[in-house]
Amino acid sequence: MNENVIEAENLVKYFDGRCVLDGINLKVPRGCIYGLLGRNASGKTTIIRILLGLEPPTRGQTFLLGAESANLSAKVHSRIGYVAEGHNLIQNYTVGRLIKLCKDLSPHWNDKFFEHLTETFRLPMDRRIGQLSIGMRAQLNLSLALSIDPELLILDDPTLGLDTVARRQFLELAIDLIGQQGRTILFSSHILSDVERIADRIGILAGGKLVVDCALEELKNRVKKFRLIFPESAPENLYLTEIINQEIEGREIAITVANWNQQKQAMLGTFQPSSCTELPMGLEDIFIECTKPDVAPLAHL
Amino acid sequence: MFTLIKREIEDHIAYFLGGVVLSSIVIVLSIWAAYNYKDEPPVYSIGLSIPVIVILLIGFPAMGASQMYTDRNRKISAFLSALPVTRGRILIARIVAGILAILTALVPLTITATVLRPLLMPPVPIYPGLIFDMFVTVFLMAFACYCLGLLTGWASSKVTPTLAGLGLTFVLIPLVAVKGFGLHTTVILVLFIIASLIRIWQKFMSTPL
Repeated sequence: MNENVIEAENLVKYFDGRCVLDGINLKVPRGCIYGLLGRNASGKTTIIRILLGLEPPTRGQTFLLGAESANLSAKVHSRIGYVAEGHNLIQNYTVGRLIKLCKDLSPHWNDKFFEHLTETFRLPMDRRIGQLSIGMRAQLNLSLALSIDPELLILDDPTLGLDTVARRQFLELAIDLIGQQGRTILFSSHILSDVERIADRIGILAGGKLVVDCALEELKNRVKKFRLIFPESAPENLYLTEIINQEIEGREIAITVANWNQQKQAMLGTFQPSSCTELPMGLEDIFIECTKPDVAPLAHL
Repeated sequence: MFTLIKREIEDHIAYFLGGVVLSSIVIVLSIWAAYNYKDEPPVYSIGLSIPVIVILLIGFPAMGASQMYTDRNRKISAFLSALPVTRGRILIARIVAGILAILTALVPLTITATVLRPLLMPPVPIYPGLIFDMFVTVFLMAFACYCLGLLTGWASSKVTPTLAGLGLTFVLIPLVAVKGFGLHTTVILVLFIIASLIRIWQKFMSTPL
């Protein structure tokens, strides 16, 4: 069972003449928890909406569970759970009515599990959705998305607007469920610590391109940052390929390099720096380096 | 599909109730006129048809526009599309609910007209299929108005389509007045409805939700 659950081929999207997605190629295998990262307006939600057939692409094709996004059948939809950014539920419905609607429309509704979730979250059945707090709406949305027993779960910034406790509760529940049931998850968030905790593969969107697409551990191993101090003034060019970012100040260079290997290390040695210190990089540091506006075009990781 | 139709009916129950109330008023007035003004029935028949025209002109386009407008405004289709439902089914359920609303208003009126025909109609020979032709024409006219409402509601942010929709609604009523009930009117209305439905389908299926 190694097939790709999510596929995007040369995906291009323009909004009012502005290129938001520029030739995105993405493959998410079954069982993977994929963290999709990017700055505001980098196109994360657009990719998700195109994948779900809510938005047409300008060019390219996308597939979910082997079916083309533009023509997803009800049967394929029944295998996909979706938590939308901002939790767009029907505002004038009561919680009970919305649950009944989802239950009646879903062929694989898990009643027992849903009851467990509503008890955990203490959702008030008689309140209107519009009267719920953002946290409660997020919990309701997640409960609805999980109770249809989906093979693929798409979470678009699900913790947006949640307080720390609600976010932690939300994530722990998500982690439990993910671990138990081996689902494929596409997860977009601005809170990188959440993504780092859950995801096993990372994609970073910058300038309309997917500049990073690899396993989280591999990403941490392959992107390195060094502080180099030279006896005299620092050389202007270190002749290294795949430099993500480079800052020169007097005798000092701070350099972030992708696909770090022995050849690059040897090349760096030829400049004979008086000191070379590797700076520890977390996902947040890598993200900041990769999404800087003046970063040179990065080879696909 | 049944769940989606049920949802549409529950969300727009006011239009169904409005149709029932108005047709009930027309029925009561018809019975009252039939028994009290036996000698001058045509005047009262014409008088009683006014509320029906009001329903057609305002009620059904308003229902169509309201269905589409609330959908866009509350992002209902965007939510439903994430469930095991396709856009096509959402639209079909919506149109079926519209047809049911029209029938809810028209069927009792047709039954009443059939029963009271000998009392309400002028004492001249009429062909046997008149009531059926009237029902078909009025139903098609109401449905055409409803389709215009759907189109208008989906493009609610634009003034031109809204005005064009309203203008077309007001053109449909004189069409029946000029052409009368029968095959010609039916063909024109059916063609109009087909064109409207194709346009709604194309817009609803291609617009970002």
